[in-house]
Amino acid sequence: MSAHRALHPGAWIAWATGTAACAFVTTDPVYLLVLWAVSWFVYAACRVPEPTARSFRIFLVAGVVTLLVRTALVFLGTVTVSNTVAAALEGLRLATILVIFGTFNAVTDPFGVVRLAPRRFHEPALAAALALSIAPRTVTSVQRVREAQRLRGIRVSPLRSLPALAVPVLENGMEDALTLAESMDARGHGRGRRTRYRPQGWTPAAVVTAAAPALAAAAFFWAAFGDWAELHPPTSPLGWPDADGWLVAAALLPALPGLLPRGER
Amino acid sequence: MPRLRTLLVGLALAAPTFTSVLAAPVPACAGETGPRGALVVDTGPRVLRLCVALDAASVSGIHLIELAGRQHGLQHSFGFGGQAVCSLAGVGVDGGDCFGEYPEYWGYWRGDGRGGWTWASSGAGSATVGDGDVDGWVWGTGDSGATHGRPPRTRIDTVCATPEPDPEPSSEPSPTNGGANGSNGGGPAEPSPADRPADGKERKDPDRPESSPSEAPGDADLRAASGGSLAASSSGPPPALYLALVAAGALVVGGRIRLRRRGS
Repeated sequence: MSAHRALHPGAWIAWATGTAACAFVTTDPVYLLVLWAVSWFVYAACRVPEPTARSFRIFLVAGVVTLLVRTALVFLGTVTVSNTVAAALEGLRLATILVIFGTFNAVTDPFGVVRLAPRRFHEPALAAALALSIAPRTVTSVQRVREAQRLRGIRVSPLRSLPALAVPVLENGMEDALTLAESMDARGHGRGRRTRYRPQGWTPAAVVTAAAPALAAAAFFWAAFGDWAELHPPTSPLGWPDADGWLVAAALLPALPGLLPRGER
Repeated sequence: MPRLRTLLVGLALAAPTFTSVLAAPVPACAGETGPRGALVVDTGPRVLRLCVALDAASVSGIHLIELAGRQHGLQHSFGFGGQAVCSLAGVGVDGGDCFGEYPEYWGYWRGDGRGGWTWASSGAGSATVGDGDVDGWVWGTGDSGATHGRPPRTRIDTVCATPEPDPEPSSEPSPTNGGANGSNGGGPAEPSPADRPADGKERKDPDRPESSPSEAPGDADLRAASGGSLAASSSGPPPALYLALVAAGALVVGGRIRLRRRGS
């Protein structure tokens, strides 16, 4: 459906790595906020059809939960405004990385990534792909089991039915993984010659997708190690976060793949 | 239509770049009158930035404070044989045990020459301050640079902006009773009421009582550099924050439109 599908999966790996690297070196909410917006925009512009795209929402929720848990941990020790804010900012950084990862999951087919791996690394790559796709697969699985329960007239109260839900979902997950591995084996993945159906090349769009976040990450690392901009807002005492125009512009770069005109990919 | 939107979002992306070019700092002329160093004293509620004329090519960090006491009336007292700082500007420990109020103590920072700070690796008695160097002292807790409070970003040219060695009034604490000779009996060097607004608004901190909210938000150092005499900075969010908000808003709205167009 979307031409984005044809984008080389490696380009999206590079996109996610570069964008996450930007988030990794800063706790400044200004840049992190921009990265959230960028992730959302790219997700909106480039997502593949359901159910993979659902994983964005899952990672969004996971990110918010992470942020809350990281902040709540402060309340185990001495609570001051300073260390609460510091913890919240660290949580925000983690949440940002999760959201970026959610976008990555939503815009690319995780199994397309497996195809990139050299033959001898096929098995670890398969394991990685399974791990990557655990969120969307679990969601589909939960939906299926819920529906089955409802059809059988089992009253679905979220808490009580949890054990009844968990077992089939886990079972489903295992089965899915086995089926996938077997089917890939049967198709000759991992041994011998591999044929490629519609090989994906490094189109200009793929190069832009990979290069823009790399440029942004370079700017952020330069700022982090060259120390020409404050990447960590003062929390003790509390102060306004610094915002550098260049770094804001750099954080916006990963949005470029979402701006590429459709159909020319 | 899609092209127009692409263009608009593209403009939103490019906007911060242009404005940051516009907001580039105007280089301030350094003084031509002998070596000078800057001393930043952060007591928590207020920040003093003093331009200090050095009486040698390089002096120790301790002597810099003594010079600031002579030139600006900065109240100070030392302990541990004159090698440690007990109190500055009326804040700190009375007496010779500079760690008498531990975990609060005067943390020593060295300017890195670009406005940032590094935690001093040696004592102020053995640290050398040359022309253009910046020293910072912060009252607070934390045993290392990672945990101790850090002074606001300061460059030498924002503190020593005017050529005459006479300090500009805006950065002078103008003591009423500060002991210029380093005794701690003089009491706190409170600024006179006229000077108050200029002090203490360096840190972008809404909690600081003396920060003036009427000041337009802006990058303090840059404005101070172009303004010449104004060494203090205002509190408030940096201008790029608004650009970030606008750009993020454009992306969110653009994403919404795209999602709706796809019919989901």
